Amino acid sequence: MTVFLDALRYLAYILIFPGFIFCFLTGMLLCGIDRKLVARMQKRVGPPILQPFYDFFKLFGKETIVPAQANRTVFLLAPLVGLAAQVVLQLFIPVFSFSAFSGVADIIVVLYLLLIPALSVILGAASSGSPYAGVGLSREMVTILAVELPLVLVLLAVAKTVGNAMGTGLCFSLSRIVEYQVANGSLITKLSMLPAVAAMLLIIPGETGSHPFDAAEAETEICEGMLAEYSGAPLAVYKLSHSVKLLTMTSLFTALFLGGACRWVEKLLLGIYPAMAAGIAIVVEIIILFLICAVLVAVCVSLIHAVTARLRIEQLFKYYWTVVTGLAAVSVVLAWYGL
Amino acid sequence: MFKKLITESMGKSPWLFHINAGSCNGCDIELVAVLTPRYDAERLGFKLSGSPRQADIVVVTGPVTKQSLPRVLRAISQVPEPRVIVTMGSCPQSGNVFRGSYSIAGPLSKYVDVDVDIAGCAPKPEAIIDGLALAMKILSDKRAAMYKARKVKPAAAEPAASAEAVSEEPVSDVSADPSPDTAVNPEGGAD
Repeated sequence: MTVFLDALRYLAYILIFPGFIFCFLTGMLLCGIDRKLVARMQKRVGPPILQPFYDFFKLFGKETIVPAQANRTVFLLAPLVGLAAQVVLQLFIPVFSFSAFSGVADIIVVLYLLLIPALSVILGAASSGSPYAGVGLSREMVTILAVELPLVLVLLAVAKTVGNAMGTGLCFSLSRIVEYQVANGSLITKLSMLPAVAAMLLIIPGETGSHPFDAAEAETEICEGMLAEYSGAPLAVYKLSHSVKLLTMTSLFTALFLGGACRWVEKLLLGIYPAMAAGIAIVVEIIILFLICAVLVAVCVSLIHAVTARLRIEQLFKYYWTVVTGLAAVSVVLAWYGL
Repeated sequence: MFKKLITESMGKSPWLFHINAGSCNGCDIELVAVLTPRYDAERLGFKLSGSPRQADIVVVTGPVTKQSLPRVLRAISQVPEPRVIVTMGSCPQSGNVFRGSYSIAGPLSKYVDVDVDIAGCAPKPEAIIDGLALAMKILSDKRAAMYKARKVKPAAAEPAASAEAVSEEPVSDVSADPSPDTAVNPEGGAD
């Protein structure tokens, strides 16, 4: 009986709450908020916030064309693999004190899973046989390389800080990192972590391929690059996993640096209404998580989009390996000296 | 329910693909003007897409020169169904001042079913938005008609192998129906 209930619970995790439906709704909403905010910053009215939903369902009503020279199986399966990896990744990121699969995965798994959606786009693009996709995928590979190094350093800095405090050397478990923050306050309040926070804020637009760092997509010069040959449902799945990526990156930021932001919620609810405190707390925490994600999207995706022009690919690479890596490295050094 | 959702979304998220068939660039600039903050066509969900594969509405400008004709037809055939073809400016409709020239193959309606004509040289941004809004509605109607056609004859999926021949049919069916509303846009005159 308990096995059955556990299976049901995990199924609910995968399909509903941190899993598919939650990702779909919040990711699309974040994407819509982003488009609306960019429009408002450019003094336009902008599309309705639900616009990504319209785009998504419209694409399902369109014909799906597979180019004659494409590898059909890879071309059609790549988007699904990317989306699946993206949703699995979201399952491993704790929502404040709640984590669906605690203890199973740590930062290293998150790093690997972050790569899979990008690799799936590259695979799909390479199999489409379009020259635009070829240019796009070579740029995407450079972007991945550029973003990966500072991201690893940021994660290392966080792991060392938490590990120092717990006396375990390095702490790679995401749920432990959040537990530490619930007990001792968010990491964003630590001075030694501030450079890492800044680096992470710059990594988010790079990882999601938003404006100044979108050399791989570059609508105006290489026709959205890797997606140039995609139409209909596979394109919709790519758009979906792109918007889920917004949610994943911002909630990863929340887990790493703002993990303790909700510790007052449960205390408060225990005082008011102890019987249902845990149940209500999770709902409140989801809402707070969404608000934090929306603010992060507004600051480091929409704002940067509205005020900058696209970087060339070598400028992007140089920027990430000097400025952003430098910021993250400062944090790592400070963490190693136990500051 | 799902079908209704798709049909409704179809009229709210039109992505444009723009083909210059020998245009003087006047209409091209006006089309871009429609996307600027002043007119902001994105509030209706419009997006310029660089690839015909992702487009819903094809906007053709220019008098369709003999050199550009095969490319125009090829690009249009790459747009997935349902698609709406819009001619913009007087050139693709009549040839405008280039009419009778040895290098002109137009008007475009000789070769494909044109759904909306936006007249003017060049059309006002207001006229363009009006024409595109009409195109959105036709797009949604076409999707609904495709569902209806599938319901009536379930065998329709079979000859899909010869995609070109099949896709011609429902298009001409649909564009025959609402032909009174798809007539030349009255707002057209620019000056």
